[in-house]
Amino acid sequence: MNSDPTDLLQEVLSGIDEDFVELRFHKKRTRSLSVEKGRVDQAKISEHTGVGVRVLTGGSWGFASTDRVDAETIKRSVEGARRAARASAAQKRDKAAPLPATELARGRFEAPGTSELAGRPIEESLGMVLRLEEQARNSSSAIQSAGCSYTEVFEEKGIVTTDGAKAWTQLVRPEFRIMAVAQRDGEIQRGSEAVGVTGGWDCLFRNATAEALTDKAAKLAVDLLGAGYPDGGRKRVLLSPSLVGLLTHEAVGHTVEADFVMSGSVAAGKLGTRVASDLVTLCDSGASEYYDGAGGTLLVDDEGVATQNTTIIRNGVLENYLHDRASAAHFEVAPTGNARAWEYDDEPLIRMRNTYIAPGDATLEEMIADIEDGFLLDGPANGQADSNGEFMFGTREAYRIVNGKKGELMRGVNISGAAFDVLKTVDRVGADFVWDLGSGHCGKGQPAKVDAGGPWLSCEVIVGGRNG
Amino acid sequence: MSAPATETIFEPALEEKRLLERCERLIEHARKAGADEAEAFGVFGQVSRADFEHGDLKLGQVDDGTSIGLRVFRDRKLGFSSTNQTDDGSLEQTAKDAATLASFSVADEANRLPAVRELEESPGYVQPAVSALGIDDVVARGSEFVHKVAERDARISIDKADMSVSCSSLAVTSTAGVRTSDSDAAVSFSVFGMAVDGEDVGGFDYWGDTVRDLGRLDASIDESVDRFCDAVLGNLGAAAAETYTGPVLFAPAAWLSIFVSPLLGAASAIAVQRGRSALVGKLGEVVAVPALTIVDDPTDLELTGAGTFDREGQPMVRFPVVEDGVLRSFLYNGYAAQVEGRESTGHATGGARSVPGLGTHAISIAGGAGGTRAEMLGALGRGLFVQRFSGTVDAASGDFSGVAKSARWIENGEVVRSLKETLISGNAFELLKQVGALSTETENVFGSTRSPSAIVDGVSVTAG
Repeated sequence: MNSDPTDLLQEVLSGIDEDFVELRFHKKRTRSLSVEKGRVDQAKISEHTGVGVRVLTGGSWGFASTDRVDAETIKRSVEGARRAARASAAQKRDKAAPLPATELARGRFEAPGTSELAGRPIEESLGMVLRLEEQARNSSSAIQSAGCSYTEVFEEKGIVTTDGAKAWTQLVRPEFRIMAVAQRDGEIQRGSEAVGVTGGWDCLFRNATAEALTDKAAKLAVDLLGAGYPDGGRKRVLLSPSLVGLLTHEAVGHTVEADFVMSGSVAAGKLGTRVASDLVTLCDSGASEYYDGAGGTLLVDDEGVATQNTTIIRNGVLENYLHDRASAAHFEVAPTGNARAWEYDDEPLIRMRNTYIAPGDATLEEMIADIEDGFLLDGPANGQADSNGEFMFGTREAYRIVNGKKGELMRGVNISGAAFDVLKTVDRVGADFVWDLGSGHCGKGQPAKVDAGGPWLSCEVIVGGRNG
Repeated sequence: MSAPATETIFEPALEEKRLLERCERLIEHARKAGADEAEAFGVFGQVSRADFEHGDLKLGQVDDGTSIGLRVFRDRKLGFSSTNQTDDGSLEQTAKDAATLASFSVADEANRLPAVRELEESPGYVQPAVSALGIDDVVARGSEFVHKVAERDARISIDKADMSVSCSSLAVTSTAGVRTSDSDAAVSFSVFGMAVDGEDVGGFDYWGDTVRDLGRLDASIDESVDRFCDAVLGNLGAAAAETYTGPVLFAPAAWLSIFVSPLLGAASAIAVQRGRSALVGKLGEVVAVPALTIVDDPTDLELTGAGTFDREGQPMVRFPVVEDGVLRSFLYNGYAAQVEGRESTGHATGGARSVPGLGTHAISIAGGAGGTRAEMLGALGRGLFVQRFSGTVDAASGDFSGVAKSARWIENGEVVRSLKETLISGNAFELLKQVGALSTETENVFGSTRSPSAIVDGVSVTAG
C-alpha cells in the first residue's frame, strides 16, 4: 500500500501542452474467502494494477490503458489514446468542447479503515467465515446448506490531469455475506443477509454483529417454508430503509444521470418541476451522510473532482442531475463528482455514490397504524430502472398489514411502478435513517460500488403477487 | 485494413507461447513456495473499441493486458492468487500468496487437480480478417451501425452503442500434466436506447451480437437493427395489461432468463451435492415437457462459448443436459467430479481472477413444432407476449417475479398495444411442465445462446 504514483504521472504529463490528458493509476487488491457446507470454495488474493489514459484532442476523445506502471509505457499509452481519438475525429458528428476550468482535487485523501484491515490476519477472517457458516447450518434441522463469505477490496488511485488535478486516494471496502437454504417436503427456501461499508471492521458490524446476521438469515430461510404468496395489485406499502435505498437508486437515480437525461430519460426537461410529494428530499453524496461507512463513499471522483452532496429532489421538486465534467459543461453547471471507473482499463462514466431519502418524523409504529390494507416489505434483492421511469426491484420478505396491524410473513415479491408517480404517493417518512445497500453493486456496462438508504417510507406500488 | 492503434498485430501463436511460459514459471514458483499441486490459467486480451453516446461517437479505445491466476493445493488445502503483472518478482509473490492462503485453509479430499485428457483439435477461432481490424475500421463500422439505427426513425434515441474487436489467447498448465492453449477473435456490437415521441418516453431495449466470421457481420448488424428498432418503437404508447393466470408467450431472451437459467443452475453437481438444488434425485426423471431438449454445444462456432477445453484444460464436448424433457446429466467441474470419484464433464468456467466455477458454455435449445413467431402469436390467441424480463429468479426454489419488458398485449393472434407496469410470477420448475409450444425457428441471443420462443401456461400476470 501507499504507493503514491502521482509524481510519476505528473512527470509523464510534463511535456504535454496541447491536448487535455488525464492519467489514472488504479491498484485493486482483493482478499476473498468463501465457505459452503464446511468446504472452502474460495481463499483468494488478487492484485491488478494499471494506468488508464484519456486524451481529448481535435474535439475527440481517445482512451488507452496499460498494466505497466513506468513512464515510458505510460507515454506510449498516451500516444495510443491520441491515435484512438484521431481515428474517431473523422466520424464524430459534434466535436467535443474543451473542458471548462473547474476546481480539481490536489493532495492525499484516505478513507478510514485501510491500515486497520490491511493489518488484520486473513486467517482470522477465515476462522470467522467457517464458524458462522457452521452456526447457520446447525441452527435448525430444516437447514440443508449454508454459505458464508467475506471480501476486502483495497483501492489506491492516483489521478493527474493536464489542467491541474493531482490527487491520490486510498480506501477499503469490506463485505460480509451469509446465506442459508432450508428444505422441507421438497420445498426449498433461502434466507440471506449481507453488509458492506467503506471503512474498517467495527464499522462493518456496527448495526448488527456477524452472529446476529447469521441467525437472522437462517431464521428467515426456515420461516419462509410454507409461507404464502401475497396477492398482486396496486397496494400501499411500507418500504424498509434498504428498499427505500433501492427505490432511490433504481427508480430515480438512474433517470437523473446526465448522460441518460441527454438521451431523453423521463427526468429530461423536468428541472424545477414537482416530481414527488413535498415530504421527499432525495440526494446523492460522495460522503457518508448521517454516519460513517456508507459503501459508495468516494472522496475524489475518477476525473479528479472532489465529490459533492447533490440534492436531486428538494421537498418534491427536481433540482439537479448528476454530472461528470463533460455533462456539467453541457448543462452549464459545476461537476458533481459522479465520474467513476471500475478498473484502470475502464473509462469514467456518470455513476451514483450514496443515494438516499432524507429522514422525516414518523415512527414505524405510527406508519403501520396508518395502513388499512397493505404490506410491510423488507429485504432487498436485485433492481432495475427503465428510461420511462418504470422500475422493478425484488424483496425477500412481505408482511400483510390489515387495519393498522402487522400480520404474517409472506414470501417476498417484486414491486414496480413509475418512479415519479410512486414518489408522489409518499404520505409518511420515518425518522430513523439507515444505510443499507452497502453490499450492492450497480451495473451500467461496468460495475460500481454504491450504497443507498433512508428511513421507512409509505407509498403506493404495484405488487407482483400470485393471482388465483 | 489499418494497423491497430496499439501498433501490436495480434499473433495468436506468439501470445500463446508467452502465456504458456508465464504459466509454467508461475507453477515453478508455486512448487518452490510449498504447493503440492498447482494450476495456472493465463489470459491475454487485445481490444479496439468505439463507444457511442446519444447517437454520436464518444470515444475510441485501445487496450491490451494479461491476467494469470494460480490455484494451489497444499495438504489438500486450497489457495488462489492472481495478478496482471508478468515480471518474475510479481509471479513469485503471487505464488507465495496462494501457498500462504493454502497453509491455513481447510483440508478437503476433493481438492485434487484433474488429470490430463485428450482434446479435440481446435478448429481455429481466429479469422485473420477479424484480428487485422484496427481502431479505424472499428470506428468506421461502428458509425455505420449507429447510422443505420438512427436513420430508421427520428423518434429513436440511442443512449449507448458500441463496436469492438477482441482478440484473446488463453493457456492452462498444471502439475497434473495439463498444458494447452488456444486463441479467439470476434467482433461485438450492441445498441441500447429507447424511442421518444413528445412526452411519451418508451421503455428501453437493447440488442447486439458477437460474430467470429466477418462475412456474417453485415447480416447480423441488419438483423439487430431491425430487432432493436421494432422493440423500442413498439414500446411507445404503452398502456395497462389485464390481470390473469394463464398462457404467456416468451421471446427467447425472456424464456432463457426465467426458465432455462434456473434449470441449468440446479443442474450444477455442486448445487446437488450441497442440497440447494431442486433437481436432487431427479436424474433420469421428467423435469419438463417432452418437446424440450437442452444441449451444451461448444462445437457450435456461432456461439461465443465455443471451445475445445474448459477452465481446467478438460475437454469440452457436445453435452445433452435435458433430452425430450428428461434430465440426462448434472454438470461437473474437476472439484465436483472428485467429490463423486468420477470424471469432469468439462464444465469448469471462469477467468484468471478466480478459482474455476461451474456452468455451461454454449447452450443450444432445439426448436419445437410451434412454427413461426406469427404462428406462436396465433396459438396464444389472447394474452401477454414478453420479450425481456426484469426481475428475480430464485435458483433454489424456482420462484420468479418481475416486470415484463418490451411486452405486448395480443388479441386474435395480433399485437394490439404495448404494455407498461405488468408483473409476472410463478415457479420455473413447475411451469417447465406446462410449456405449451416451442417455436420451430430459433434465435441466437446476443451471440451466446440459441433458443426458440415458448408459450408457457399457468403464469400469474398482474396489471398495474
